[in-house]
Amino acid sequence: MSFFSRSPWILHYDGSSCNGCDIEVLACLTPLYDVERFGVVNTGNPKHADILLVTGSVNERNIEIVRNLYRQMPDPKVVVAVGACACSGGIFARAYNVQGGIDKVIPVDVYVPGCAARPESIIDGVVQGIAALELKHRMTA
Amino acid sequence: MDTTAFLARVEEYHRDGWRLALINVTTVLPAAPAAHGAQTAVEAAAVGAAPLDGPGVFEIAWGFARGGEFKTIREQIEQGQSVPSISEFFGAAFLYENEIRELFGINVTGMGVDLKGQLYKTATRVPFSHGAVKARLAALAASAVKPS
Amino acid sequence: MKRTTIPFGPQHPVLPEPLVLDLILEDEKVIDAIPTIGYIHRGLEMMVERVEYTEMGFVVERICGICSFMHGMGYCVSLEAIMNVEVPERARWLRLVWAEISRIQSHLLWLGLGADAFGFENLFMHCWRMREQILDIFEKTTGGRIIHSVNRIGGVKRDIADSELAAILAELQELGAAFKETARVFGTDPSIAHRLGGVGVLTKADALAVDAVGPMVRASGIATDTRLGGAFMYDQIDFEPVVETAGDCLARVLVRLREVDQSIDIIRQAIDKMPKGEGLPIENRPRGLPSGEVFTRLEQPRGEVVYYVKANGTKNLERFRARTPTFANIPAMIKLVKGCDLADVPNIILTIDPCISCTER
Repeated sequence: MSFFSRSPWILHYDGSSCNGCDIEVLACLTPLYDVERFGVVNTGNPKHADILLVTGSVNERNIEIVRNLYRQMPDPKVVVAVGACACSGGIFARAYNVQGGIDKVIPVDVYVPGCAARPESIIDGVVQGIAALELKHRMTA
Repeated sequence: MDTTAFLARVEEYHRDGWRLALINVTTVLPAAPAAHGAQTAVEAAAVGAAPLDGPGVFEIAWGFARGGEFKTIREQIEQGQSVPSISEFFGAAFLYENEIRELFGINVTGMGVDLKGQLYKTATRVPFSHGAVKARLAALAASAVKPS
Repeated sequence: MKRTTIPFGPQHPVLPEPLVLDLILEDEKVIDAIPTIGYIHRGLEMMVERVEYTEMGFVVERICGICSFMHGMGYCVSLEAIMNVEVPERARWLRLVWAEISRIQSHLLWLGLGADAFGFENLFMHCWRMREQILDIFEKTTGGRIIHSVNRIGGVKRDIADSELAAILAELQELGAAFKETARVFGTDPSIAHRLGGVGVLTKADALAVDAVGPMVRASGIATDTRLGGAFMYDQIDFEPVVETAGDCLARVLVRLREVDQSIDIIRQAIDKMPKGEGLPIENRPRGLPSGEVFTRLEQPRGEVVYYVKANGTKNLERFRARTPTFANIPAMIKLVKGCDLADVPNIILTIDPCISCTER
């Protein structure tokens, strides 16, 4: 049996997002979508997390926070960029305080498109993230 | 309007039960692009029209609301001039005042709570100042594809 | 006594958004709170430099994904005022219906988050389950769950058929009936009363002194509501602002609970009063370029929002400014946090219903 696929723990960080993707991430946890049926648990502690879900782009101020959260997560770890802003900066890509997608700061494994990203695609992104996690684990084990 | 007269008017609003609804600043460039036949701000910058030359002004509006009514006090100041804080009468003003100092570079004297430039921490320093606006427009104009 | 500074946020389990406060404590008592924003600051107001006024509405909608409809509406209404556009009556009614549906959506969302913060996960799940029904209505009528893009300068992009409006109303009324049970738990559960009652009291005098807005002030006994101004068809609706007098965290919950019912009733009246029929005009597109300025005020779920738009006769606006309700409520939040126990901070912060992406833009 695979090592990670049963119960990945997720850490969510909201970069410069408009809230749209954040509430869709939260909606994934609630009865209609209910990702807990896949064993996915939302944690507030980076040291407990396997998957970092980032919504929104990076700006001058949160760049260090994103880096810091990523650094604290134990290996192997996977980053899922949720929504257009996290992928590329989205509609705000050229606003003066936005530096671009999350991949400007940390390596991203899965890109989830959408503005806002739909819960179905977020769940799909997490499932792909689990596969990436499993692969990373095998490569380092 | 001098400071004393301005603060007296603010005090009047306070006494009459008005609520501070917002303090807004507009960065006004030396001349409106439309005056030069330009359709967009970038076009105006591209033809080197007046918007980028000379000093500009800041338009400041203190907005007050009472029920369905809404009134403003307007002032126009030049770059480098300062405005008095109104936090003596409206405690909530400190947030707006710290904001306009950080984003527009307008000095506000006598703020109730001074957040010492730590409210926003923007990549562009003073992003709404004339200098920053002009720099962005000039960069945009330089990178824009010339219309054929 | 020894002072400790505890940073609250930007990544904190109680709120998905990066709110940051430096809490200065003496033992367990908070004696000061210093706000820092900028973690979500995008600088979208300055995007008017490069985005034409016709497209700026799509940027404005993305100030916040919770009040997306209301932000889009506020922008379009402002431009309509500058360009002297007469919006067809049916479009104005449709906007009111969507606005009230988004109020219900926002309140359900908040009630869930609030319940989660005071440790009642079950209620969180129930509120969000009901919220999904509202999102379904949005998706059916606008095409989007979160970002709707249904407002246009001069009207709305889509009509809702009369039969569908009737079905939506029936669904909302059914939801309202089911919500009664959830509301009963919020209102009567002793552990909720224990956790929120008497905590974070904003007196009427304080609420006036800090210029707070929305449910925050209505929970402190002040009957104010921007909708009473009568604009945007509210003059034809019969309603009274929901007021509670205790001013504590519980009162703020109760105001929002009752506003869910109120919004359903407002939608019922609106559907009743709007002109019926197929193919009625819903859009009156403006001509030319905007020139002039306007202040617009709307009542969002979190309170009054003020927009300032200044146009100078080009395709780019000279200034777009949104003063969002949370921005106005931050001084009140800081006031409430001072003097409270550290353990009450999450609840106090949540009961102002903070929207950080609105605040920082």
